[in-house]
Amino acid sequence: MTESAYRSKVSQKTLEESQPEHAMPSRMAEENWQERPISGGLSWGKVALITGIASLLALLVYNAVSGLLADFERYPITSSVLGTLLGIFVLSVSIVILRELIAYRRVNRFIDSRQPLGALRELPTVADVDRALDSQASQFGRHSFAEHCYRHYQTLKRDDQSAKERVDLYQHHVQQPVQARASSVLKRESMTAGSLAFISPNALIQTLAVMWISLRTIRRMAQVYGLRPGTAGNWRLVNVLVQNIAAQSLFDLATDEVVNQISGTLSAKLMENSAEAVAAGALNVRLGKALIKLLR
Amino acid sequence: MDEKVSEWVAAMRGAPDASRQLLAGWLGKQTHRFTITGLSRSGKSMLFTSLMTMLKYRTEAGYECLPLLTRLPTSLVDSMYMEPLPGFEMFPVDEHLAALESGKWPQATDTAYGFRLIVRLTEQGRFKRWLMPYSEVVFEFIDYPGEWVTDLPLLEKTYNQWSDSAWAQQSGGPQHRFSTRWREFIQDFDFEQEPTEARIAEVVSEYRAYLAEAKREGITMLQPGSFLLENDSLSLTSMGFSPLPSTVTSDPSHPWLKAFTANFSAFKKDWLAPLKDKVFREADKQIILIDVFEGLNHSREHLYQLKETLSHLAETFVYGESNWLSRTLLRREKISKVAFVGSKADSVPVSERDALLSLLTQLTEGARAKFGDKEVDFEHFLVSAIEATDEGEARNAVRYRNQHGDYVEASFEPFPKTLKDMESDTHYPVLDINVPKDFLPRILNSRGMDRLLQFLLG
Repeated sequence: MTESAYRSKVSQKTLEESQPEHAMPSRMAEENWQERPISGGLSWGKVALITGIASLLALLVYNAVSGLLADFERYPITSSVLGTLLGIFVLSVSIVILRELIAYRRVNRFIDSRQPLGALRELPTVADVDRALDSQASQFGRHSFAEHCYRHYQTLKRDDQSAKERVDLYQHHVQQPVQARASSVLKRESMTAGSLAFISPNALIQTLAVMWISLRTIRRMAQVYGLRPGTAGNWRLVNVLVQNIAAQSLFDLATDEVVNQISGTLSAKLMENSAEAVAAGALNVRLGKALIKLLR
Repeated sequence: MDEKVSEWVAAMRGAPDASRQLLAGWLGKQTHRFTITGLSRSGKSMLFTSLMTMLKYRTEAGYECLPLLTRLPTSLVDSMYMEPLPGFEMFPVDEHLAALESGKWPQATDTAYGFRLIVRLTEQGRFKRWLMPYSEVVFEFIDYPGEWVTDLPLLEKTYNQWSDSAWAQQSGGPQHRFSTRWREFIQDFDFEQEPTEARIAEVVSEYRAYLAEAKREGITMLQPGSFLLENDSLSLTSMGFSPLPSTVTSDPSHPWLKAFTANFSAFKKDWLAPLKDKVFREADKQIILIDVFEGLNHSREHLYQLKETLSHLAETFVYGESNWLSRTLLRREKISKVAFVGSKADSVPVSERDALLSLLTQLTEGARAKFGDKEVDFEHFLVSAIEATDEGEARNAVRYRNQHGDYVEASFEPFPKTLKDMESDTHYPVLDINVPKDFLPRILNSRGMDRLLQFLLG
């Protein structure tokens, strides 16, 4: 049989349009992602703080004034102003609490709804994997590093990839970079925690500094993951936070005692502060790892 | 004196650096020797061009063109450079890219090219970085004309064995159709005449004409394929031969048999054996490149013949796991990883790619049987060196720009799931695809290369 005698199983037709042009593939531009400032402008937290202080001041003024003018009914305007300020303060505090609750629910929803990548690999079709990952990614906050990675991942999807390959791609281009970034943030924050503990002149300031840096660590790391867990974050994290502060205080007591037993020299004080700095850094790492474990 | 002391001090200071460089050279080098075994027109040159272009753009410009390749992370790649392999001409990647730029596919390879692709990776760990600032992944590739590869099995054969097998191949299958003229020529030729240089040249020339026609008609088992290419080192006067009829080969004293046996031996000794040593040197990883579509273009018989060819090819390579001693001291490598790659996958619509992969798996059955119980890790892949087509309106269609510049949609009937399901009177003609104008993004967006490299580097 000659070639021409074969029946062709391909039918062809000429199209009126011209061939579309392909775009170059995306570039990995991790450095383009900039950490956004944690807060900008006047936040509700600040309003609460300001109005709180204002209320306190106003009450002090009020008390001073009431001391002079004993009869409240004789000064209705002053009492109205004080009442308004107090109202704003209560409202602001309520909004802050509400936001914390929403953020708390968001973190919990994320933790509850996400499926482990191992389970996603078992899904039968690429469409199922895409749906699951899209749903997971819908909880990434705008402008977050996770969202940035997810957008990049979207450009790497190809029609010939299997469900397992799609999950591997997600793991490599979203999960791993996000975790690496979170670890780097944690490292930086832990160094700061250690430094602050080292230079803190007394236990109270040290505890406050550790508490502040711990809350900042949670916020910054959650921002990498695209979540805003609020100041308190997640109950489990709060537990870790409280344990950390307790451990730091105990450690502080212990080092004080050791220093008292040894001597009161400068080198002993230096040693004490160094030990506390290491402890503060390590406890902060513990907190950060708990957060990574929750969110990954 | 002071100068000498300064020099000595400087040398002592530099000693740790030099030692570390040396150590990095010894320990931080990961060499992958690839042999790409591909028949003529299987797309080897385009694959090389595409691979080099993708790695270059990935390394130097940060394009994510190999998304599934995690064993060579972009973030760790410091630089990439190429150097020729000793004894080889440099692979003409620039000429190939220039050809694509001018709307032509790269020329078929007519000689051997070798190159080494070195990807330098920075170390992550601080101590490791101090000790060995970088590690290198070295790829060694050799490109050669596909016609040569089918000749390798001849090394294990005597002239008589080869002549008998050549006649057996021509007596059946698709070769039978294209060898009619050649067989008639042999039938009419008077072998009682002395085998003079002119007469030998006449017979060899007729045999070459048959080989050339068979190649045009999609036959893959062409022996000796080297006769299809002009090469100064291959003198057909002293190394030319063809199959002889059994009336001649059965008589050991026949002058034609003596002449062709001598030429066959010279061909093996002076051409094929040095070629094998130089071009088909030991490698630890093998890519067997197969254009399944080329078989579908012709007939079911062509596909079976392609399967047979692959099976014969696998006989010529040494498979198994090399140990440290043989690899490092004896410099003897065995192939421990084999990727069977179906090339030009972009010519096939998405709906038929599973079937194409299934056909590819069946085509390699014979070759895989040659691995026996040796530890050989293998997988099948579909790869496109360039995404020259676009998706059609339906899943069973692709769109492409043909040689006349028209944009055409080709709709495919379902591919057979198995070789035996292929109807004997039907075929899937090869698409007349022209080089797309936007060839660079289409190379960088091509499919399957990342999966292939990920497997081979694992």
